[in-house]
Amino acid sequence: MGQIKYQLPPEEVLAPGHFACPGCGATLTMRYALKALGRKTVVVIPACCWSVIDGPVPYSAAGVPVFHTAFETAASTACGVKAGLDAQGDHETTVLAFAGDGGTFDIGLQALSGAAERNEDFIYICYDNEAYMNTGIQRSSATPLGAWTTTTPTESPKAEKKKNIVEILAAHRIPYLATASVAYPDDMISKIRKAKDIRGFKFIHVFSPCPPGWKFEPEDSIKISRMAIESKVFPLIEIFHGTDYKLSKEPEGVPVRDYIKIQGRFRHLDEERIGIIQENVDEEWERLYSKCVPTTQAHHAGSGEFQGERRSSAALSIRETDSAKKKVQSARR
Amino acid sequence: MTKYNFSTVEEMPPLAFSLESTRMIPTGSWRHVRPVYRDKNSPCHITCPAGEKIPAYFELVRQKKYAEAWYKILEDNPLPGVTGRVCYHPCEAQCNRAGYDGAVAIHNIERYVADKNLQNKKLPAAVESPKSEKVAVIGSGPAGLSCAYQLSRMGYRAIIYESDHEPGGMLRYGIPDYRLPKKILDKEIKDIETLGVEIRTDSRIGGNVAWNELERYDAVFVAVGAGHSREMETPGEDLKGVYSGIHFLRELNAGNVPKVGRNVLVVGGGNTAIDAARSALRLGKRVTVLYRRTRADMPAVPGEIEEAEKEGVHFEFLVAPVGLSGDKGKVSEIELVKMKLGDPDESGRKRPVPVKGSNFSLKADTIISAVGEEPDLSFLPYSFLKKGIRLLVDDDYTTGVPGIFAGGDAATNPNGTVVNAIRAGKEAAISIHEFLGWRSRSNGASHNAVTPEEVNTFYFPHGNRVKVPTQTIQKSKSAFSEVNRTLTEEQALTEAERCFTCGTCLHCDVCMTFCPDVAISKDESGEYVIDYDHCKGCGICVEECPRGAMELIPEGAREPAEEVD
Repeated sequence: MGQIKYQLPPEEVLAPGHFACPGCGATLTMRYALKALGRKTVVVIPACCWSVIDGPVPYSAAGVPVFHTAFETAASTACGVKAGLDAQGDHETTVLAFAGDGGTFDIGLQALSGAAERNEDFIYICYDNEAYMNTGIQRSSATPLGAWTTTTPTESPKAEKKKNIVEILAAHRIPYLATASVAYPDDMISKIRKAKDIRGFKFIHVFSPCPPGWKFEPEDSIKISRMAIESKVFPLIEIFHGTDYKLSKEPEGVPVRDYIKIQGRFRHLDEERIGIIQENVDEEWERLYSKCVPTTQAHHAGSGEFQGERRSSAALSIRETDSAKKKVQSARR
Repeated sequence: MTKYNFSTVEEMPPLAFSLESTRMIPTGSWRHVRPVYRDKNSPCHITCPAGEKIPAYFELVRQKKYAEAWYKILEDNPLPGVTGRVCYHPCEAQCNRAGYDGAVAIHNIERYVADKNLQNKKLPAAVESPKSEKVAVIGSGPAGLSCAYQLSRMGYRAIIYESDHEPGGMLRYGIPDYRLPKKILDKEIKDIETLGVEIRTDSRIGGNVAWNELERYDAVFVAVGAGHSREMETPGEDLKGVYSGIHFLRELNAGNVPKVGRNVLVVGGGNTAIDAARSALRLGKRVTVLYRRTRADMPAVPGEIEEAEKEGVHFEFLVAPVGLSGDKGKVSEIELVKMKLGDPDESGRKRPVPVKGSNFSLKADTIISAVGEEPDLSFLPYSFLKKGIRLLVDDDYTTGVPGIFAGGDAATNPNGTVVNAIRAGKEAAISIHEFLGWRSRSNGASHNAVTPEEVNTFYFPHGNRVKVPTQTIQKSKSAFSEVNRTLTEEQALTEAERCFTCGTCLHCDVCMTFCPDVAISKDESGEYVIDYDHCKGCGICVEECPRGAMELIPEGAREPAEEVD
């Protein structure tokens, strides 16, 4: 009982003065990620909103080293940075690839899949604002069914469902995969911290609302994020080793209409089409829910714990054998 | 940060890189609206006639600082143990939680705080330095006690003249024990005396004390209440076995149980009628309340009516007495006429009109008439302006005579409740203070309260309102033992946690948590500071504030003054 309060790590790594639009979800995502990871972090950013948000040369907002790289290369650059740090004997610094949905779902998918398959040891955060916002709101494969973008105008809104990136990554059997939302900062921070303590490839999919791209008032950013969770549009889950699903928060199950009605990008939708979206959401939810461990109550938002370091990935075990280690060492020399 | 000085192009790294923080960039210039912290009034505080600072003392309760919470209440109301029991708590009807999962049980917390401090001998000190002026207060009911108490806090000598043998007025002689035990009243009156108020009992102005004696005082507050029962104006009212409600309750409260027959009829629909009916029931009688309008029109507090019904009081609506007849000088029968509702009268309620030829009679051996009370103002030496039966006073409680103020039921008290009398006493004290040449500290507070829409209910998990422990009449050891119980500490704390604390910042950090521009921080004293050089005015902090203690104002507008009392 009493009021819900958040206990966040006090240190502010992210600096003010960045170039994010007012009410930006991607920026809150970065703020929480840096709070969770601390200053011993290197961030790799491909072309995305954050290429701009971080600030123009010679300024940077992140407060940690940021490597700006090409659109399709977030994952491969992060692999390189991690390898470089390893070569220097720095096994402490966390490498974080921080990409938008365009650079993750579409353009960067190949590099992402490769890094996931090799189980490279870094964290990949995709801040999903459901379109190419930085370039002027063009649809991506993360844009939801029925949404307006400049390339899916209201006369022919997006006819395809959102790509299920979580299932794609789960199929890679990576050790840790989670979804998070800016409306549940404690949950997001605990998941990122958990990811930090796990070796191998970690993917966190963050729901990051975009006021200009979704057409809503910036003060509603958190409210909309919350409704996305409560309406089951964006469930908060964790997947261990690609197979063990855990629900982080049981949604209240508010109608999808409530979520849709406060966003201008869905304004053209009539009741019938909202009904189709609701059906789609319900269907996806049922599919996901059937995979989740039944004892969801034991895993409240932010309280789930990862039981040590389980290595189900055969590749990892092979790499970790003594002979393999020697090989790596001699190669480094 | 390391400064790099490159003397040749070759020395420069192959990539462009940034070493300065964006902190240098004043993104605050993008802003067209500005968030500000602005405490606002809560609806309960604005609604409370006594003006109790409810969110403030609730916060103290949550911190288990019960003495401090009590002092907070005492700033506005010297009788929390009384009002915690008998107040009709209009605050709860306006509670922003009402439409969410039930209003917070404010009056139960008030009572808890008062009862928790029953043994507390350490009273708050006067707030202002002693002054030479003396003020007389006529009547020691809630209005008189409240006025004398506030004057005493302001440093005046306040002397109360009470015609009865014991102080308290209607609180003592009008409210039965099962609603307000005498020991609670005695304790709170004693506290008022300890603070410096002198109460002279058995002192009737115009009786054993001459009006002239009051001329030594710098001001007088008339708060004699309305202790005189109005008559039914039906023949036979002087028969034996016919009591006025006030007289009946008075005798009972003084310990002289009046003689009542087995079949008691109470005429009237106000609080006196209900109190008399429930009291008669406790004497083991069959009791019926007769009221000339409908149940919804009854001026009595709805909760009291419900409790009376639960205890077994019968009700007859739309009937009015026509006459009483007796046997050997003792009442035996009442003749009634059925009523129907006509056009609305000046009170806004539909006027009851008799239905011709519908007369009927009921047997009765006791009739209690409680059709209204009026003040007895015959002691006043010169003609004061009156409105109907009451003294006419201005909004500042002045009568036409300089230096003489009036309030409570004797004057134009809006609804004749204890808490409104307490308000009258408090406000009259401020008026007297100003009359005596001082400037009052009141700041003309705004009456805008936080609306339910301004509360972000996401932050408040649902929780049911506390169920107040009661003791039914059937189960109680003594018929007149108190019906409603005090909450346990656990119940009080749980209930206090339900309070949204509308409009008062509790430093919960939600604003800071969700700022994308990292523009909110805390200074050494724990207060929030907004960095307007960087705040872009997105408004998330204002939207997310759980309790409406922030506001967005247009950029360039002057920051509004605080609105709270």
